[in-house]
Formats: sequence, structure tokens, C-alpha cells
Amino acid sequence: MVGTAAILGDNPRVMASAADDPSAGPKGPLPNIGAGGLIRPPGALPEKEFRAKCISCGVCANVCHVMKYDAIAIAGFTPPSPPLAKGGIGGVLNYGTPYIKDMRDFPCGLCMECPKHCPTGALQKVEKENTAMGIALIDFGLCFGWNGDVCLSCSKACPMGAKVFDFYNGEWGNQPYINDNCVGCGLCVKYCPLGGSAIKVITKKQYETVKSSYVSGFKKLMSMPNEERYNIVYSQNLPNIMERGKLVEREYR
Amino acid sequence: MSYWLKDGEDVKPDTPDPHPLLSKGGLRGGVSELKILNFKLRLSRLRRYVLFSITILFLLQFLRIKVLVGGPTASLAFWSINLINVFAFFESFAASKSITMQALTGVLPVAGIYLIFGRAFCGWCCPMDFLFEMVDKIRIQKTGDRRQNVRPLLNSPLDKGRHSGIIGYGIAAGLLAVSAILGVPFFTRYLSHLTNFFMVFNSSVFLALDLPVSKTVLIYSGSALLSLLLLEYFAPRLWCKILCPVGITYGLFNKLSLLKLRFKEGNCGECNLCEQVCYMDVKITHHLDQPGLRDTNCIYCGRCVEGCGTKGKLVSMSLRAHK
Ligand code: SF4
Ligand code: SF4
Ligand code: SF4
Ligand code: SF4
Repeated sequence: MVGTAAILGDNPRVMASAADDPSAGPKGPLPNIGAGGLIRPPGALPEKEFRAKCISCGVCANVCHVMKYDAIAIAGFTPPSPPLAKGGIGGVLNYGTPYIKDMRDFPCGLCMECPKHCPTGALQKVEKENTAMGIALIDFGLCFGWNGDVCLSCSKACPMGAKVFDFYNGEWGNQPYINDNCVGCGLCVKYCPLGGSAIKVITKKQYETVKSSYVSGFKKLMSMPNEERYNIVYSQNLPNIMERGKLVEREYR
Repeated sequence: MSYWLKDGEDVKPDTPDPHPLLSKGGLRGGVSELKILNFKLRLSRLRRYVLFSITILFLLQFLRIKVLVGGPTASLAFWSINLINVFAFFESFAASKSITMQALTGVLPVAGIYLIFGRAFCGWCCPMDFLFEMVDKIRIQKTGDRRQNVRPLLNSPLDKGRHSGIIGYGIAAGLLAVSAILGVPFFTRYLSHLTNFFMVFNSSVFLALDLPVSKTVLIYSGSALLSLLLLEYFAPRLWCKILCPVGITYGLFNKLSLLKLRFKEGNCGECNLCEQVCYMDVKITHHLDQPGLRDTNCIYCGRCVEGCGTKGKLVSMSLRAHK
């Protein structure tokens, strides 16, 4: 048992997980794409109805704890959407509601227990396959597989497996691509070996807005002449990857 | 007739020396204490043991034991029975304008419990009642003022001496309206003592276990809880008597519940000891001509039963139906 002072002290791992959105910083993957809201537990009603129904009872969070996943945290006032700057009222509306806070350490294990036990029906029972918590996006600039390596840890961790992952194997590596069947559980985020992860989960709604640019980035890479690709990989991506390996100290829990 | 104790005088509701009636084998009127295996348990003690046991049951969830998962606003008993606070149910309903099967099956067992025990939740299960009692002790020690009541507020023009709880109902209805307009369960999410107590409790445990916690939750709910304790210091039980819609809702159940205070004829010396120890400001002696007392503010703490000079002869708690 550790004292609270020790926990709040200078332990970098804990400091990282105690920050409200650890993967959102400039050192996280896809820093230009915001999460677009909180990633809700499986089976959550549409955002507005969800906030109306949920009574902040914490049953889901504690059910998740009992199931040994510890994925659900209760949102405070700081989480991203909708920001004050954009005319929203900050995190006030989200206060007290459950979300998957820290996928780097505590992704959802898709045990599907929390929707079964939510007393208000803010979470509705749902099949594992039909869950839509969000969608995972790979940062092609950080992923080992897209930069000359063989990794595929994400696809091995994914409970949806081949349904979700497309592979584009080539001379630049075993390039994984996550398609729209992803349910957003975040297991891949956790098992990506890159410091700070090369994968980010965003809400399905946010995905609608960034899909075209993300997909065109993917297509551009696929059709890129070798020389140009070589330049990008060696002058930008690999230094970035090396830096993250050094910067982000973490261990699996 | 009603008077306040002056400094130095002491009602001593907690002193164990038995009333003459008791030692003569009184107690026929009802229970002022339970006798379990030769242990005499006073009600005011018993209810603290109940609160303590419930807290332990809630603590088991952190050892991943599936007995009572959740918090006081809603919980999951034995991994199968949903329980949801009645006022939270109404607020969720008001905010979303729809009812789900889950909510309905969760609120029915709770409503059933309170049809039996009335507002006993407040006196026996609410963690704030215990915390408030601690604050009361500090106040009495510091100021020597034993008064538990906030008469000036209860006797506002709206409710002149009637103690009908009309202000409380107004506040509860207002909160439901706010929830409906804002589209969020307003009281339950931001103001509820139960939610904030749970958040402080849970976040601290999660923090100690090194699990994901939003620190702002801990800071906000902690300050909300402290404000309530501060309020209690300056306006004893103002929260319970008027402001808290959870208690007001359960108070409605007092009108129907099986559990009630009962009176036996005669013997009242009009010493007002019962009313002096009642921190919910129930006008007990005003009901003496009736067979039972059904005040929305009574939380069945049992202090009047113990405080009464006849020790359970005159005032008692009873689950039996009226004759
Ligand atoms: S169990 Fe349901 S009502 Fe309770 S906090 Fe979770 S989502 Fe909200
Ligand atoms: S389904 Fe996911 S979020 Fe829900 S209890 Fe299981 S692991 Fe936790
Ligand atoms: S790709 Fe990642 S987030 Fe999507 S289902 Fe698989 S493991 Fe979960
Ligand atoms: S686990 Fe990470 S580095 Fe490995 S292939 Fe997946 S995204 Fe790339």
C-alpha cells in the first residue's frame, strides 16, 4: 500500500495517468485530431440522451473495477469537449459522467458487464460486435509497421481481429490499417509498443469529420514514390519514433 | 410549553442509567432497545452499526467482491438486483423525458423498502447523518448551544408554524424543473450529498489503488461535501429538513410506511424531553392525541424514544399496523 503523497508525487507513470487526457498532448499520436468528446463505455445512448439519463451513480465504474478492467473513470470538469473557446461550456456538462479515460493503461476489455448493470439505461445492452465506443486511428508517422518494421502488436491485441485490420505488406513494412469495423475498445492503444502509443481512439462522430483527410493521407502514402517515402521515414518519422521511445517512460500494469 | 436548556443543564439522552419503569420490567409499550443475546442495543447505537455494516458492504467492492457494487445513489446488490434512489429516478426521468425498463426495475425494490421503513434511510443509512452528528458535537463543544433546530427558517411566512414541509416540496419540484429544462439530472449530478460523498470516497480509493481518477472530481465533490458540513455547523439540519430533495421524497413515504412512531395513552409529563433531543424538529407532543406520528421529517433515529422519561413506555417505534 502506497501513501497518497507518494502517489501524487514524482512518479512519472502516475502523473501521466492522472492527467485528464494523457494521449491528447503533443507527444501523443495524431496530435492534430482531437478525440471529439469522451469515449463512453459500451452501449451508451447518444451523447445528449446519455447525459440526461446518467445519474453519476458510478455503478458502471465500479462494475468495471470488479471485472478487473478499471477502464471507466468519472469525468471531471477538464476533459476536452466542447471547449470553452468553441462556444461550449467546457467539461461542465460532462462532469460526473463515465468515460474510458486512459486507454494506454486501462482499455475496455469488452466484458459487456457495465451496460448490463447500468441502473438508468444510460448504457444499453449491446452485442460486443455492435459496440461503437469510437474508432482507433493509427498514426502512420509513428507506427513501426509503416516505417520499415514488423510489429502488428495492435492486430494481435484486437478482440475483433481480422474483421477490423487490413494489412498492406510491402517493402516499407507490415503496414496495418484499422477499418470502420473497429469498436473503439482501445486494447490496441495499450499494446502498441511505441512510447505514448501510435494509436488514438476518437469518437465515431469525430471520425465523420476527419475521415476524408485521414483516408486521403493513407492513400497518399500508399501511392507515394519510394524516394519521397524514404525521405519522410528517415528524416521525420524515425527521429520522432526514437524520441518517443526515450521520452515516454512507461511500463505495462 | 416549550423551553430550551440553559448552559450547564444537561438532558443526558445518552446516559445509560435506566428509568425506574425500565428496571421494573417496563418496555411493554414497544422497543427503545433491542435485546440480542444479552446485549442491550440502544436504537441510536444500533443505527450506527447498520450504517457501519452498509459501509463495509460497499467497501467489499474494492476487493472485487460482488455484494454491493456502486454507491448510495444507485447500486447493484448481489450482482443482480439494481437499486436506484427514488429522487434520482425522477430526475433522470425529468431530464430525459423517457423511462427505461432498467430504471423501473431499479426503483421498484427501493420504493418497496421505503413503503415499509419510511424515511428511515436518512437516519439509518445516510452517511451525511453521521457526519452531521460529528459536526453537531463540535458545535455543541464550541458554543455550548445544544439547540438543533432552525425554527426561524421553518417558521417562515410560507409555512407559518405548520411544519408541512411546503418549502422543501417547492425546492424538490424546482430541482426537477431545472433538470427537465437543462436536460441533465441537475441535483443528482452536481449537488447531491450522496453523489458527492460517493465521489470523494470512490476517487480516494481509486487514487490510492493507482487507478484512473479525474482529480477535478475529487476537488469539486470534496468542496461540495465540506460546504455541507459548514452549513450544518451554522444551520443545524437545515439541509435534511428543507433543502435535501432526497429526504423530502422519502419523507412522503412516511405518510404510508409501516414503520411509524406510536403513542400510548397517558403518562406524558409534557417535559418535552423528546422534542429537545429530536434534531429533525418534529413536534412530537403535538401528535399525542393520535395513535401514531407520520411527520415527513421523522427519520426514525429513535432519540425521542430514548429521550422520553418513560423510556419506551409512551413513545415507541412500531412496524405493526394501527389498531
Ligand atoms: S451506471 Fe449508468 S447511470 Fe450510473 S454512472 Fe454509469 S452510465 Fe451513469
Ligand atoms: S465492457 Fe469495458 S467498460 Fe464495460 S465493464 Fe467491461 S471492460 Fe469495463
Ligand atoms: S482496432 Fe483497437 S480499438 Fe478497434 S476494436 Fe481493435 S483493439 Fe479495439
Ligand atoms: S502496435 Fe503500434 S507500432 Fe505496432 S503495428 Fe500497431 S500501431 Fe504500429
